Amino acid sequence: MKGKSVLKKAATILTAAAMATGSLTVCGTTVGAAPADSDGGKILYLSNINSGVYYDYYKAFYERICADLGYDFEIIYGDPYNDPNGNLTAVRNAYTDDVVGLITTQDGGIESIMDEYPDMYVSALGTDMDSVFDEDGTNHGALEKDHFLAVSGDMFTSGEEQGQYYAQQIIDGGYKKVATVLFPSYAYPSTAIADQAFRDAIEEYNQTADEKIEIVGETTVLDFTPLDASFFLEEGYGDLDAIVGLCAGIQFIYPTMVVAKADGTCDQKTQLITNGYEYDADILADCGDDKTIKSTTITNPEAAFLPIALIDNAIQGKQYADYPGAENVEPGIITVDSTSDFEVIKEKFTDGQTLLENIAVSVEELEMLLIRNNPDATYAALVEAASTETMESYLE
Amino acid sequence: MANNENQKPALVDWVKEHGTDLAAYGGLLFCIIFFTITTSMAGSSIWSQAKIRTLMSDVIVTALMSVGAVFIYSLGNMDISIGKQIGLYSTIMVLLGNATGSLILPVILCLVIAVIIGAVNGASGEVLHMYSVISSVVFMMILSGVSTIIYSTIGTRNIVLHTVDTSMLKSPVIMVAALALETAIITYFFNFTKYGKYAKAIGANKTAAEQSGINVVKYKVIPYIFLACTLVVASLFQMGYTGAASDSTGTGFEMNVMVALILGGMPLNGGMNSKVSCAVIGAFTFALFDVGLPIIGVPTKMTFMVKACIFLVVVLITCRKKNGVLPR
Repeated sequence: MKGKSVLKKAATILTAAAMATGSLTVCGTTVGAAPADSDGGKILYLSNINSGVYYDYYKAFYERICADLGYDFEIIYGDPYNDPNGNLTAVRNAYTDDVVGLITTQDGGIESIMDEYPDMYVSALGTDMDSVFDEDGTNHGALEKDHFLAVSGDMFTSGEEQGQYYAQQIIDGGYKKVATVLFPSYAYPSTAIADQAFRDAIEEYNQTADEKIEIVGETTVLDFTPLDASFFLEEGYGDLDAIVGLCAGIQFIYPTMVVAKADGTCDQKTQLITNGYEYDADILADCGDDKTIKSTTITNPEAAFLPIALIDNAIQGKQYADYPGAENVEPGIITVDSTSDFEVIKEKFTDGQTLLENIAVSVEELEMLLIRNNPDATYAALVEAASTETMESYLE
Repeated sequence: MANNENQKPALVDWVKEHGTDLAAYGGLLFCIIFFTITTSMAGSSIWSQAKIRTLMSDVIVTALMSVGAVFIYSLGNMDISIGKQIGLYSTIMVLLGNATGSLILPVILCLVIAVIIGAVNGASGEVLHMYSVISSVVFMMILSGVSTIIYSTIGTRNIVLHTVDTSMLKSPVIMVAALALETAIITYFFNFTKYGKYAKAIGANKTAAEQSGINVVKYKVIPYIFLACTLVVASLFQMGYTGAASDSTGTGFEMNVMVALILGGMPLNGGMNSKVSCAVIGAFTFALFDVGLPIIGVPTKMTFMVKACIFLVVVLITCRKKNGVLPR
């Protein structure tokens, strides 16, 4: 017993000595020394996805841009549920003294992150940052920080605009019987607004139309699980002309449609109009004029340049003369809605590297919009180059 | 010569007997030395002020939960509802904190709810003759539903505490003090009172404990009540760091507790070898990996693989039974 006690005490003393030695080591350490291979510091990219064509593209794009500009680049992974503490922990664990900027794809905890790292420049990609721009938003305080630069939003910045956009697709497509599906409003508030705007637009059309468009039932809300097969068993849903998926429909609606069509519970003519993109040969073979996936809407890849451009200008100490402050910039919207369009997309959006080589505005052209390369560059030109490309740009 | 021959077998026997402790303490010591050297070489010491803050904020919630969970694990049980409880209590603290301007009422309410949940989890196994983990699974699902209803009703995924200043809860000094105080209290009850002794006895051999006169239902409920109190404290720090809660707060925390305890050398089937120190050692080891690996350049994607490999090694060392078979 005495021997055990002595050995335990020895272990305790040894552990304490190791910790003391470690603390003393700090005195001899140059805290904040940048790695030898980077002059500009490190840019972190807080990603909410970890696979897919767009993930690979953003990785390739930012690695290329950061290498050209002299930054290190590192992808870190946000909390899968956008939990503020989860996102903050992800940034904290990845943060080193050479981090100069953060491009985030989620808004959870962004104000706490900026409070903890006030010298780090922050911009956003692919998210509307509702909690920042909403006056009652949980991260509204981030808007008052001058290190919060800009947001390249998640396709439509306005729910009304999104709803009207899809309503026009339904009208132009000649569909007469449709239903809507979307993600929960507490996660994506704008899609609930979009759904209502869609219904209002259809109702307005119906007032003067010879053949009215029927919207079957209330909207179906997916709690981030695939559409249930019983959807098609409910009255009126088995013979829809189209399903409007105000969500990642290719991932959450299409698989159920395929099974239902095979089972005979979904009419063969039912088509899906949604957003998102997956490079899968089987899925892409079912995209086009008379296929299951009639159209999909995706963000223009060049939009990824806006966040890094503003961060680089800020780090260089020279921002655009016409920079208005942090705002949500709507990206270019690429609507792929024909067989020929899907053929083009299949060729150019094969993987991240291929997409990088085929973007409508080249990396070299984009980099000439940086103040360091072009003192006369303007914010307006940046927005135009980064955020206005459409399907037509990719057909050229 | 004769003395050397006698000492060698004793040393070997001692190592065999304390292999778990050696693995746990040795693992932490190794991590401390390893990351001290390697992070300094990488140019950003893990013992810098900023990183110590990160380390403490990473470890505090896991350690606070794990210290309380030692009681449960010493019974040979586990509680799968820990994460969802943390989420619910954080949510209540934010909502009621905003409504009342103070955290006192929300903390009291959370304590009441936690004690009720703990009592049910503790008693259900004996009363209903089922594994206690099943009732914790039920609570996990119930609390998940409650959380979804709350956030769906509010119409947002995140809520922020506006009316109470929680900056004190971000202080590493306060974190260390809270952890030290909780550890001291739990250690006292676990090592020097019948609550801990009976819990270990039940974990070692429930039948023998029962037949020696221990009220198994009572002395299974009381550990869950200890856990309940520590979960409320942990929720306070979880919510306090960002002053926010979300519908996913606490997700997976029960796994963090399990990993921390196992890394700390806690026997999965409980019993007499259970120690409170397992919680603190394991939580710190876990946090050192989280903070240290990115500094030395391990890609974030790979840190999970590294931790998984280390966890596997520790399990193989510490959780093997005498006949070499892993516990089921």
